[in-house]
Amino acid sequence: MIRSFADMDRLASQKGPKRLVVLAPEDEEFMLAVRESAAKGYTRPVLIGDREKMERLADQVRYDITGAEKIYEKNRQAIADLGIKMLFSGEVDIAGKGQIPTAYIYRAIIREESKAGKGKVVSVVSLWDIEGLDHLTCFTDTGVNITPDYRTKAEIVRNAVFLFHLLGYPKPKVCVLSGKREVNGDIPSYQDCLALKKAAASGELGSCEVMEAASFLDIFSPGRKDFRRGDIDIGKADFPHIMLVPNLATGNILVKLDFAMKNIRRRSLVMSSRGPVIIPSRSDFRDSILGEIAAGVTVAEQIKGGAAS
Amino acid sequence: MMTNFEQIRSEAKAKGKKKMVVAPVPAGMDFTALSEAVSEGMVAPIFIGSSDAMSPWAKARGKKASDIECVEEPDALKALALAIEKLRKGEADILMRGDMAPGPFLGIVLDREKGLLKERVASVVSVFDPPSVNRVTMVTDTYINSFPSIVEKVAITENVIRLAGVLGFATPKIAALSAIEQVNPAIPSTMDAAILSKMAERRQFGDVVLEGPLDIDCAVSRRAATRKGVHSAVTGHGDIYLMPNVEAGLLMAELTVFIGQTPMACALMGVSRPVVLNLPFVPAENRVTEIELAVLLCGRL
Repeated sequence: MIRSFADMDRLASQKGPKRLVVLAPEDEEFMLAVRESAAKGYTRPVLIGDREKMERLADQVRYDITGAEKIYEKNRQAIADLGIKMLFSGEVDIAGKGQIPTAYIYRAIIREESKAGKGKVVSVVSLWDIEGLDHLTCFTDTGVNITPDYRTKAEIVRNAVFLFHLLGYPKPKVCVLSGKREVNGDIPSYQDCLALKKAAASGELGSCEVMEAASFLDIFSPGRKDFRRGDIDIGKADFPHIMLVPNLATGNILVKLDFAMKNIRRRSLVMSSRGPVIIPSRSDFRDSILGEIAAGVTVAEQIKGGAAS
Repeated sequence: MMTNFEQIRSEAKAKGKKKMVVAPVPAGMDFTALSEAVSEGMVAPIFIGSSDAMSPWAKARGKKASDIECVEEPDALKALALAIEKLRKGEADILMRGDMAPGPFLGIVLDREKGLLKERVASVVSVFDPPSVNRVTMVTDTYINSFPSIVEKVAITENVIRLAGVLGFATPKIAALSAIEQVNPAIPSTMDAAILSKMAERRQFGDVVLEGPLDIDCAVSRRAATRKGVHSAVTGHGDIYLMPNVEAGLLMAELTVFIGQTPMACALMGVSRPVVLNLPFVPAENRVTEIELAVLLCGRL
């Protein structure tokens, strides 16, 4: 079981290098992360992008790309299409987003999924490694679906459950987060929570358990009238592996609160049916991008090893 | 501007004692936060409910139950109606939720005719005291409006600006949050944030700087914002975060309390008199801060 990002990093250096196709590494932070991932033995990168920009940046960060495979292309959508096609054909193990609008990559993934007859919902899983918690946790979907309906939420849960199976968690606990509270009645996200609970119990979501809790208050202070901040201990709480967010705005805000908190690190990826696609935020810096690459390598290795089967 | 919860306390203490009516009060109610506020000389309580409830409290304070101002009214709904009447008549300054669930309590308190609703909508502001920031920060709406319309968001914005004024923010910096920092018609909250931002630019909210839409990393990190090409006085220095909907608001507040371990207290805005809500996601340690916020809001609503 992969319990932390340190576990991932270890596995990435042991099982690497994996083939990583990098879509438009045309930003200094990104190029530095790619250079590091190759130096650490995580990846053998294939770089797709604008020749002049890539060469200038590689030069700037002192990354010798003469030996790396390069494909020159300026059109953003063409870069995304080409890279994702390489992932789906098995030429590479991981795809990683550089300076390219995320929507182009999602579009390319959806196209390839439908060609492969999967047509599945594309969603982003943002993993959190929280100090004091003995397992990984995640928020999903933090990137694609703006206001997912029940059916889409079920698919989003399935995608995350699949990822957690790969990471070695045979029956991950799912918390369907909701803004349910004592006023203004039940909101749709809570109805979805109840329905997903039933779906999980009947096995429709893969091997997982949907928890009673639908909020952090429920997780940390179940059934109590009062709680003291000083008594909160995440290590002792029944903390979920997967947190399904009610909508994109909520997910994006919650997952990036690690900015304002100590002892939390984040890595996001999309699980396509053929392998991981890492989607660093445009505001991520080299260390977090490198971490996401390690996450991609780990997942690619687990897929190869058949960990989820 | 208030730098932390200690300053809120000392400012509240300087305000002089306020009359706080607590209703409804059944037997066995816990008065921990109230006791602290009374000991600090900030409030004098008036209990409405069962007089049995007050005896142990009075005893613990070395007083007779008869020395404590209380009105016997065992019926919870009548007790609350009586309390609201006292506030409307000016016989009390603050209302504190006694032992009634927040739903029915707010249903009565936020009645425009018989209750205390004053503005277009009421909203809850969660006030945080983050140790890494040299001032308190505000997040709203974290409780009342589920999916506010732009009209309601304007009112929520006005409500929080009023609180910011009371807390001494001369020109509050406000981040209108959404999922992304670009205006995208497919994501309605980005449109709402852009409208609020434009209204602020035309000074429709008075002396504030409001930027939106911002995603959370642009809002909390100037470095991240610069990298995304967003340049604003608000990025990395927000005093107020306007949330796109209550799911984001409530869950963000809870996450910041439970995982971020950040002190937090709530204030109800949009009402004519201060109301202490004692909402379930407020830590016990910070309930007294809610009373202090109410004291500061006296005469300023």
